[in-house]
Amino acid sequence: MKEYILLMISAALVNNVILARFLGLCSFMGVTTRIDTAVGMGMATTFVITVSSMADWAVETYLLQPYGLGYLRTVTFIMVIAAAVQFTELTVKKVSPPLFQMLGIYLPLITTNCAVLGIAILLVEHKMNFIEATLFGFASSIGYSLVMVIFAGLRERLALADTPRLFAGPPIGFIVASLLALAFMGFSGMSTS
Amino acid sequence: MNEPVYSATDFSAPAMVEGIAQVVEVDGKLAWLVPEQTSSCGGCASASACGAKGIGTTASRLEARRFQLVNDAGFRVGERVVVGIRENALLKASITAYVIPLATLLIAGALAQWAAGSDRVTMAAMFAGLALGLGLARLGAGRLLLRGDLAPRFIRRAGAGETCNLE
Repeated sequence: MKEYILLMISAALVNNVILARFLGLCSFMGVTTRIDTAVGMGMATTFVITVSSMADWAVETYLLQPYGLGYLRTVTFIMVIAAAVQFTELTVKKVSPPLFQMLGIYLPLITTNCAVLGIAILLVEHKMNFIEATLFGFASSIGYSLVMVIFAGLRERLALADTPRLFAGPPIGFIVASLLALAFMGFSGMSTS
Repeated sequence: MNEPVYSATDFSAPAMVEGIAQVVEVDGKLAWLVPEQTSSCGGCASASACGAKGIGTTASRLEARRFQLVNDAGFRVGERVVVGIRENALLKASITAYVIPLATLLIAGALAQWAAGSDRVTMAAMFAGLALGLGLARLGAGRLLLRGDLAPRFIRRAGAGETCNLE
């Protein structure tokens, strides 16, 4: 049990997918102008990453490794991720069309989010079992959502701040992102003893 | 030396999340609207110059998200209006669509792993949990719909140069 908790803390905070691995930066800068959109994107991404991590692990374990198809890993994982996004989109549309009208705009952005592919490749490289892979995907996406919401909150306040004209907009956003990354570096000093 | 200007700005989130939509059809007391694009790939100001109108593109995706409003304000086709949803509606919708299925998936997986300890059994249990969660999400979405939480509301007509980047 302890190793699962440590795996999740490590994936969410210490090796945060955005601030430590520098994945998913497009959505990090593009969808964080408001907290509500960041929350919507974060939850959608959490769902897709968790489901696609499970599916990618199964494809790797039962298809790519037994048949020596490792060279097709990247292409296969991209297809699995696209299928997971399409499945999510169709499911939300079927479960509730009004929900799809409200949330559907975020889903295509996830297909091109490199964090989803990056996490799938990482869980294969670390030779995780199924539970570890699922928890790693879930915790990584929780870390992604956490940073998205924190950064969106900061940007909402920055939009009202008296920023010098040359720094207004994305430049001050990048500076704040770097400070946030420095703050998250503090988690790397955590000890289990 | 420039003194910082302090104001009594309210930092809390707005009561309504606003967006701009275009009236595409008027049918008696109902009007059909299509939301303008709000993502960062050019924004609504470039919509008329955008040539991407095929299947799976932004134009067709926005068309798929068309919704209706009661035409009390006398909308005309082509008119741009500001519509909004309650500030917590997006959060409730996200929780219903994603968090409930994810929670049932993880709980089912944890129980199966604890009981059986086999990857295949855990995987099967997780898919069963996902199916159960989607069923619960459907019920939850139905309740939100009945309470009117998912319905957009008309706020005002959009100005001539008003863009979708309302903040």
